[in-house]
Amino acid sequence: MYTGGLWLISLILPDPHLPYRKELIKKRDFLYLGALLLLPLIFPNPHFYYVMVLAGIYAVLSVGLSLFLGYAGQISLGHAAFFGIGAYTTAILTTQYGVTSVGAFGMAAAAATAAAYLIGKPILKLKGYFLALATLGFGEIFLVMVREARGLTGGVSGIFGVPWFSAAGFTFDTSLKQYYLVWGVLIGLVLFAKNLVRSKMGRALLAVAASEDAAASVGINVARVKLGVFVISAAFAGLAGSLFAGVMSTASPDAFGLGLSVLIVMMVIIGGMGTLYGPIFAAIFLTWLMDVLGGYQEYSLPLFGVVFILLLIFFPDGVGTRLNARLIYLISYWGRKRRRERVDR
Amino acid sequence: MSLLVLDTISKSYDGVRALNRVSLTVRAGTIKGLIGPNGAGKTTLFHLISGMESPSSGTISFRGVDITGKAPHEIAALGVGRTFQTIQTWGNMTVVENILAGMHTRIRGNFLSCGFWLPWIHKGEKGALQEAKRILEFLGLLGRWKWSASQLSFGQQKMLELGRALAMRPKLLLLDEPAAGLTPAEVKKLSEKVCQLRDQGITILVVEHHLGMVMDVADDIAVLHNGELIADDTPEAVKKNPRVIEAYLTIAGG
Repeated sequence: MYTGGLWLISLILPDPHLPYRKELIKKRDFLYLGALLLLPLIFPNPHFYYVMVLAGIYAVLSVGLSLFLGYAGQISLGHAAFFGIGAYTTAILTTQYGVTSVGAFGMAAAAATAAAYLIGKPILKLKGYFLALATLGFGEIFLVMVREARGLTGGVSGIFGVPWFSAAGFTFDTSLKQYYLVWGVLIGLVLFAKNLVRSKMGRALLAVAASEDAAASVGINVARVKLGVFVISAAFAGLAGSLFAGVMSTASPDAFGLGLSVLIVMMVIIGGMGTLYGPIFAAIFLTWLMDVLGGYQEYSLPLFGVVFILLLIFFPDGVGTRLNARLIYLISYWGRKRRRERVDR
Repeated sequence: MSLLVLDTISKSYDGVRALNRVSLTVRAGTIKGLIGPNGAGKTTLFHLISGMESPSSGTISFRGVDITGKAPHEIAALGVGRTFQTIQTWGNMTVVENILAGMHTRIRGNFLSCGFWLPWIHKGEKGALQEAKRILEFLGLLGRWKWSASQLSFGQQKMLELGRALAMRPKLLLLDEPAAGLTPAEVKKLSEKVCQLRDQGITILVVEHHLGMVMDVADDIAVLHNGELIADDTPEAVKKNPRVIEAYLTIAGG
């Protein structure tokens, strides 16, 4: 029955690993971009904006982790800590030192980068379960430090009244403005990540994931590549944290726990390993799912788990991968149809 | 001129001696075959040269530089390419990407310049793609350049692995049982390619069980037996060497 279900679904959805033509990919990208710009006009209500802002922040996190987990094949269960470092850096610098949002945004990335470099250097020698445990430990240590350093971080209650994100005199003080801010930043970061994965560094990431021995045999410095991608994915998380503090206007420890780290890993896995758009779809989907299930109180977590398992059973290579492939298939189908009409005439 | 010099190399694993005072030189521009019964220490020797393991004693020098104990990627960057006994192509990439990844050290760029796609990155990628296609053409894989590497047949994957090693423009190529599992036709094709590479000036050290192939292509053959070098001579002389015959007969006789 299990394979039967898969077979049925593969009938509806085409193989996601077909090589696609460049112009199709470009068209698809414009479609996504158009959808992003128009969505707020189609659903003009503050709750939609709020959830999509949160989804956008999670998408930044998951795209960053996708480079480390989906491409380089390394596990991190401590990414929420880098998110937290970004948020706290922003909150502390803006509320206590009067640094501008943009300045704090840059410092958040720098702080996450520095932390990732220091942590990554020793622990990235570990593999698999051991790496998972070490990163998990790092996440917990971060939480303890934040709770205890009350003078700086406000302890368990956190920091309130972080100023809205503002740039060049423009303040992002409504959720609609924040929607465009967050998704604008995401587009920039996705472009960066896309360049990365189609370059020599992207190939080095995939090589390290598939066979470290083979990677080293062609001169790829495996340790350096792992550290580099860990640092970059931490920088993404730091920027996401800075946005979070700037739009939620607060930073408190319960937002950066193990739950969030696991959630980001789930986004990458559900979205599709080795893809960039997949995790974005998954971030949007899971954020909405959490929002909807939030109404069911104590049943929300088990329900969440059930949905997660169903997704893994029916979309083993990722929901996003399939959606993505489906869309490209549709575009190519429309293109063919139109071309045929032109020839007929 | 000697490209690679192994000087009294020994390697032990928890008291088990895999290699015992092996000295070996590989002349530039030649094909050297390395044969020996199972467990003779051939693969261990390869791992020592490519840096995946370091010798218990002795030194290895490549082009006059001591490379003993250097990391694999450093040795590779000096110009030592290798293939693996069990196929290690990257199945998560396309055929051409496998070759391109082999050019890693020769393409400019780091994480930041690649992420911002600075002008020279684009230029480097374009040039690299053309060269990768030339390598695939040489190996007869150009028709499948966009295939996923995991979709290739066993023989094609072996070829792809060779191509990946070639992509780094090695001075010395280490081939670990390239003919294992290939059909006779594929072995013949492989032998031709290996000879062509030698004629292009690449020095080759090949470990092989397929004695026919080694005898055909090798200029010199070294024979390992129980971790010791028992012969290092021309193919004809090795064939007649009583110690070699004895070693192989002992194995054959059980």
